[in-house]
Amino acid sequence: MKNKHVAIVTLLSILLFSLLTGLAIARADSGNTNAGDVTYIIADPTGDWGYPTPHGHYPRGPGYVRMSLIFDTLVWKDTQSFVPALATDWEYLEDENAYLFHLRKGVTWHDGEEFTAEDVAFTYNYVKEHPSWWVDLKSLKQAEVLDEYTVKIYLNERYAPFLNNDAGTLAILPKHIWQDVVDPAEFREPESLIGTGPFKLVDYSKTHGTYLYEVNKDYYRGKPDIDSLKFVKISEEMSATALMRNEVFATAILPETVAEVGAAGFVIINQSGNWNAKLMINHNKAPMSSKEFRHALAYAINRTELVEIAQRGHAIQGSPGLLSPTSPYYNPNIPYYEYDPERAKDILEGQGYQLREDGYYWKEGEVLELELITASRFGFERVAEIIARQLEDIGIKVNLRSLEWKTLDSRVITRQFDLAVSGHGGIGGDPAILNKVILGKFGYSANYTKNDTLNQLLEAQLHEMDEEKRKEMVREIQKVYAEELPALTLYYPTWYWGHDGSVDIYYTLGGIASGIPIPLNKLAFMEYKGQVEAPAPAATEAPVPGFELLISILALTAVAYLVIKRRKD
Amino acid sequence: MHINYWRELTRSNFGKLGLVLLCLVLVIAIFAPFLARYDPGEPSLSILMPPSFAHLLGTNDIGQDIWSRLLCGAKNTLLVALGVGVFTTLLSTVIGASAALVGGLYDRILMRVIDALIVIPAFIVIILVAAYVLPNVWTLIFLISILTWQGGARLVRAQTLSLKERMSVYAARTFGANKLYLVIRHIIPDLSPILFAVFIHSATRGVFMEAGLAFLGIADISTVSWGLMMHHALRFYYLDVWKWWLIPTGLALSVTIMALVFIGHAFETAMDPRLRKMEQEDWQC
Repeated sequence: MKNKHVAIVTLLSILLFSLLTGLAIARADSGNTNAGDVTYIIADPTGDWGYPTPHGHYPRGPGYVRMSLIFDTLVWKDTQSFVPALATDWEYLEDENAYLFHLRKGVTWHDGEEFTAEDVAFTYNYVKEHPSWWVDLKSLKQAEVLDEYTVKIYLNERYAPFLNNDAGTLAILPKHIWQDVVDPAEFREPESLIGTGPFKLVDYSKTHGTYLYEVNKDYYRGKPDIDSLKFVKISEEMSATALMRNEVFATAILPETVAEVGAAGFVIINQSGNWNAKLMINHNKAPMSSKEFRHALAYAINRTELVEIAQRGHAIQGSPGLLSPTSPYYNPNIPYYEYDPERAKDILEGQGYQLREDGYYWKEGEVLELELITASRFGFERVAEIIARQLEDIGIKVNLRSLEWKTLDSRVITRQFDLAVSGHGGIGGDPAILNKVILGKFGYSANYTKNDTLNQLLEAQLHEMDEEKRKEMVREIQKVYAEELPALTLYYPTWYWGHDGSVDIYYTLGGIASGIPIPLNKLAFMEYKGQVEAPAPAATEAPVPGFELLISILALTAVAYLVIKRRKD
Repeated sequence: MHINYWRELTRSNFGKLGLVLLCLVLVIAIFAPFLARYDPGEPSLSILMPPSFAHLLGTNDIGQDIWSRLLCGAKNTLLVALGVGVFTTLLSTVIGASAALVGGLYDRILMRVIDALIVIPAFIVIILVAAYVLPNVWTLIFLISILTWQGGARLVRAQTLSLKERMSVYAARTFGANKLYLVIRHIIPDLSPILFAVFIHSATRGVFMEAGLAFLGIADISTVSWGLMMHHALRFYYLDVWKWWLIPTGLALSVTIMALVFIGHAFETAMDPRLRKMEQEDWQC
């Protein structure tokens, strides 16, 4: 009886252990390919990104990309520059502060109706009334139809990002379908998915996080070479394995798998500089309200170590000016705050802090103690761990805390924090993003309006239509921002994608539309090279449960031995 | 009731095994600073290295030595075991024994409170509380104890009710012993087997819950904890590192839990007359 009990307990322990380690060898569901027609399968770790209409998708890049396959914009981008989409050419009329678009002829909606200037004017006026997550059209005064294929868009004021953030991002809707729709976010009838894009949605499963598209044979650029396109949900840890087993054609892969995927003959593409991880500093609260104190923090943090260790080398060191060296607006001539712990200590001592025997700085009977919060995404916990050690090394006591992502955002928005490790994308696109992340009140924004020069420069760059002058302003903004240092950019992570080479997916100039750093530009799918030397299913060493099995057998043997021994006794 | 528990414990193979394993973990925890070859928190550029002479269990994703972290994690685990064990036992004793001895309305109210509290899922509550309070090791010990003492209190109450009706207690009372004397001299000593069982059970649960919470990411990320190590290791399960990062950590945790369970089981057999009888019958077969 007793032995039975013990055996059960032991087995349960083994079971628990096996369960935990078993998670490590869990396999993802595999995608499948149909022989005959070509279904290009793309893996995605999240799966569901919302209903793919302009107002229905989730306000994140992957949601927009899924929508962009169905709907077109007036202009689009490729690897180099803006390219014509529904508009064949366009010009800015300085006197009238308006853009004139000449539209493509012979374009039809998926339901066979003809696309005209009426649709464009309708969409602009409609979205101004019903802003989407992605485009708000605050700069729009009015859209006017000049003739069947010409439309003029008047702006309220000069607005430099218009082409990128509005004309290149706003999906054009069919007037004959949307004119009576009052609540566009809830409009989910089959006709809500009628666009002019290269793909039509066949199936969408919110539960499984899958999207299946078929090609639009009447697409104005010609029929895409593949037959259908499918997004399947596969965890990011399993993506590389799925790719190497030819279960998917393209996927984002983790940096550690790049060498293996590349060696197996797959194409690797990467991009950095569009996303930044940063140390948010609560500049409303003492002692961080002092600019010099913020400088001390910057000198105390070794950003090279963060890149080398926390990112394992897969990142570019952060520039205190926010924009990355890959941006055309980047300014290298700004205070850089290279790691200099001695200088950091000098600044602290200059502020009246004294280093005591306990290894911490004290002032007026209080120890210098800061709370550093973060969330368990993007490896931020590890970044925060290293920063905490670096700050402790110079004598700042740090209380480290990992929160749920939304709680972190909310603590930053309500300014209930000292330091926070967070991040955001979009910095590879139009510099209008600077206004959002410096002045805005989002979880990733510095929320810093104390410097008038900075405020004025940020406002002015939005309205400067001369590109060179605008670049100059943005460079100046980075300089002032780096001096004020309301937040410190730590690094720009490098993202990797792997694909089988049958479709040359690529990163769009400055990101898709207003700056989405995902290499799934719909134009890439126009050409399919066929099963190019389909890389042999890589002989990946399956994580066999050998260890687990061995341990289980050992444990069982031990139990059996004890039971038998007891019986013999 | 007066059994030599130590002898009973060491007479059972499982008891011995449990004691040996627990001693092993204890030695590791005490001598960790000498056995560890690196500062367990120090990141380095040797990232995700396989086991080697320099790093017996390789390194983790930020170049920390896994062997050193494994050793230091033992301290955290035992601290939680001891903390939760002591605190829960103390709460159970005070509440359970007082309910039995005082009786009446006080007893009825306490028992209904226990009935109400026992249905609260401790795990979920701790996850919720951790959103507001820094879940460091002391907070966790407090939270786990405060949410899991009810079962122990019931046991202690039942045993005390039985003890206070014993002849020895009556006899002592007739000789003029006051209540305090009775409690200290007769009730508490005879409660000790139950208290030890409650202690072992709570300690096991404490270790398990701490590891489970850390595994889910509910932990002070600046501490070295086995559950947290598994939490981080799982992010890299697609690489080979799980063999020297996840497995040893899981094993260490399993060994500790098994040691506690074995001791608890051996002890339970020793103090339960029915189990002892079966054991003896077993012995004769």
